[in-house]
Amino acid sequence: MSRVWAVARLMISEGVRMKIALVFLMLIGAVVVGLPFSIKGDGSLTGAVQSFMQYGLSATGLLLGLLTILMARSLSDEVANRQILMVMTKPIPRWQFLLGKWLGMTLLNAAFLICSGATIYGMVHYIKRTHPPLDPRLDEGELNNEVLVARHASKAMLPDFGADVELEFDRNVEEGAYANVPDFDPAREKLRLLRKHEARWRIVGPMNDRVFEFQNVLCDRSPGHFIQLRYRTQVTRYAPDEIFRALWQVGDARSGTPVYRIPVRHVIDRWHTVRIRSDAVAADGSLQVIFRNRNPFEDERQWPNVMEFRADHPLEVMFVVGTFEWNLVRLLVLVQCKLMFLAAVSLLAVTVFSFPVACLTSLTMYVLAGTRAFIMEALNFESVNRASMFSSVKEFFLQSLMHAYMAICWVIPDFGRYDAVEDLVNGRNVGLVWVLQGMSELALVKTAILLGLAMLLFQRREVAEASF
Amino acid sequence: MAERTLPVVQTAGLCKTFRDFWRRPRVDAVKDLNLDIRAGEVFGLLGPNGSGKTTTIKMLLGLLYPTRGRVSVFGRAPTDVAVKARLGFLPEESYLYRFLVAEETLDYYGRLFRLPARIRKDRTERLLDMVGLRHEAKRRVGEFSKGMARRIGLAQALINDPEFLILDEPTSGLDPIGARQIKDVIRELGKKGKTILLSSHVLADVEDVCDRVTILYGGQQRATGDIAELLRRTDMTQITAPPLSSDTLEQVRQLISRLEKKDIIQVTHPRVKLEEFFLKIVEEAQVAKVRTSGARQGGAVPDFLQKPAEATREQVIEGLLAASAHGSSAVVRMEPPGFDHRPSPARELIDQLLGPSRAEPATPSPQPPAPGSPSAEPARQKQSADQSVIDSLLGQSADQREDAGP
Repeated sequence: MSRVWAVARLMISEGVRMKIALVFLMLIGAVVVGLPFSIKGDGSLTGAVQSFMQYGLSATGLLLGLLTILMARSLSDEVANRQILMVMTKPIPRWQFLLGKWLGMTLLNAAFLICSGATIYGMVHYIKRTHPPLDPRLDEGELNNEVLVARHASKAMLPDFGADVELEFDRNVEEGAYANVPDFDPAREKLRLLRKHEARWRIVGPMNDRVFEFQNVLCDRSPGHFIQLRYRTQVTRYAPDEIFRALWQVGDARSGTPVYRIPVRHVIDRWHTVRIRSDAVAADGSLQVIFRNRNPFEDERQWPNVMEFRADHPLEVMFVVGTFEWNLVRLLVLVQCKLMFLAAVSLLAVTVFSFPVACLTSLTMYVLAGTRAFIMEALNFESVNRASMFSSVKEFFLQSLMHAYMAICWVIPDFGRYDAVEDLVNGRNVGLVWVLQGMSELALVKTAILLGLAMLLFQRREVAEASF
Repeated sequence: MAERTLPVVQTAGLCKTFRDFWRRPRVDAVKDLNLDIRAGEVFGLLGPNGSGKTTTIKMLLGLLYPTRGRVSVFGRAPTDVAVKARLGFLPEESYLYRFLVAEETLDYYGRLFRLPARIRKDRTERLLDMVGLRHEAKRRVGEFSKGMARRIGLAQALINDPEFLILDEPTSGLDPIGARQIKDVIRELGKKGKTILLSSHVLADVEDVCDRVTILYGGQQRATGDIAELLRRTDMTQITAPPLSSDTLEQVRQLISRLEKKDIIQVTHPRVKLEEFFLKIVEEAQVAKVRTSGARQGGAVPDFLQKPAEATREQVIEGLLAASAHGSSAVVRMEPPGFDHRPSPARELIDQLLGPSRAEPATPSPQPPAPGSPSAEPARQKQSADQSVIDSLLGQSADQREDAGP
């Protein structure tokens, strides 16, 4: 390993002394330090911090990704400038040389990432201290409780509508409702009925109640601790003031917990958070929440609203499981895993191509990894006719393209799956399991595959050939 | 010179063809090269530009792969890491990392040999002393002149105390002082028993330091042999004497005419070489302490560069048997159609070592025949042909050489 470390050390020296690394670091510095002075958000302290973190972390990830691709130029330059001739005549196996390069890039990225993370952390506290407050007491409380924290979210459980679906399906069959339906598929019909029941359950008419059940709310139930109810509702018809008034009842007397009634007056179709004492949660981690669609404010007028809790805006109970600092660290680990993968991609590219082509290839891979989910959905290969690929030229071309793309997608990870910026900004816990998944997929398996391939190709290269 | 028995480098039918993008042959850089470099000798690879010297060296170093033929270094494939641990290489230009300072450069290469920190530091200092760059140890090599970079290149080639040193155009870009110093280093290392392969088209350099040479032209081997033998002229006699009066000279002329029935061709006063004159002037300037920002006078060859440990008879046999056994995997073997399957020199050496004449030193395969032996005549003819090739490369006609005088 001493030879690997020697190459890694050289890579680090080069990275530190490379002007391009300096330019990127200055750019990152300008973004991280300059953003707080230019971003206003929605005017609130929370908005300002959230906007800063969103842009700052995204820009840092992007710039470090580009820097990683450009750092692979080190190997390309060594071949072009022939320093490789001096190194390859020393007793270092080629795979160790490549591993050293990768290790150097990884350590450099880690150092840059730590500096960027520390600066972002410092700037968050700078904004917190200097941002002109709308309401000093509420602003800081909101920031501390909803952003600078790591919260776990439990979603409300859906009731089991299986029996209702079977009942309705049998009734429809008896009534002959499906008699004239061509290509009738009972499973599909039952799924449709299930969706209908769920949608109906999500709607709460005027003066009606809806009971939401939660499980595994494993929060600290001791006095002085809180849980948060996060929700967003829509209405079938907007009231003139765009405000709804309702009552939340949290806790279940049957489980021996106190019951809290919280009247709310909130803007329609916006996210809202309600804080409740955590002793409303039962000892077994269950929690009952009832939404009462009625006006608790006797002196205020309420329009009769039909409220809807949409599936894409699920009702959640959130509780603190960690600190913002560790959440930030875990996010940076995920970013580092992506950079480790990118380092392997760019090294593979420079072992095959000269630098400009290698750079373009790595960039393409980076973009593909970032937009993989979107591209997969857009291409929708499921729709390709699964006839024999040799049935026609068009089929051959289409299916070849599909197989090639699927093979690439097997190697290229979905970076979007490991994008934790949104979670950090919203004060959600960046789970350790998630981070471990990212490390194993990005930093271990896929990096190892690409690095192995790069080593194999580099081993077969005649490094002294001019047309490398 | 010590008896040389171990072949350090062996090539057989070595060919290298460079191809274009479509794999069509573009250039035949090396054709059917058979080399045999023995342990402890300073071997010269001569030839004009484009004759295949550098390509041959790159194949010996595993930087290029042969198209056909086979090559082994220390009985193994050149790509073997164990082989590289025993090598030192100075390429035709010193390809250094511009962002490193001189001592960092040597430290980096020392790390690749897994030298302990203390030894790296010690050797770095002594090698910088040797090449006259101790005072520039903290300066970036990117700022160095070409000659200074060559000196660092030489220092890095010696950092591991190599048994086998490959120097490709070592004096190119160097001033006469540097060139002389490198030649002195080569001589010194040769005395210490290092095996050295020197590639150059500066014939004087090769003539000054090499024991044997091979001359390449157009990728083909045109002549090989002991340099003293190749350059010896038996058709003339040179007498060097203190200054003689014209009377004495006349008497000598008459004596030769009477005894040999021949006349003296030319009588002149010999000149010192320009190199010697130049070095004398520089030495005087150094004594006068004239300031310079370039390289300074180098020091002695460091004593860590030792004579390679001689292998025991058993180790030699084991090594050769291992090489023989691994011939298909450890040694690059690409035999051309009609490849000559004669017993390998390694096998011959084993036979000699194990044979009845155990007291006799093993004889390397391409040994020139003894004068008067049945094979001496063809060898002389070949030698004569080799001489003509050297003459053509030197650009000298026979007359010009005769004019050179004593």
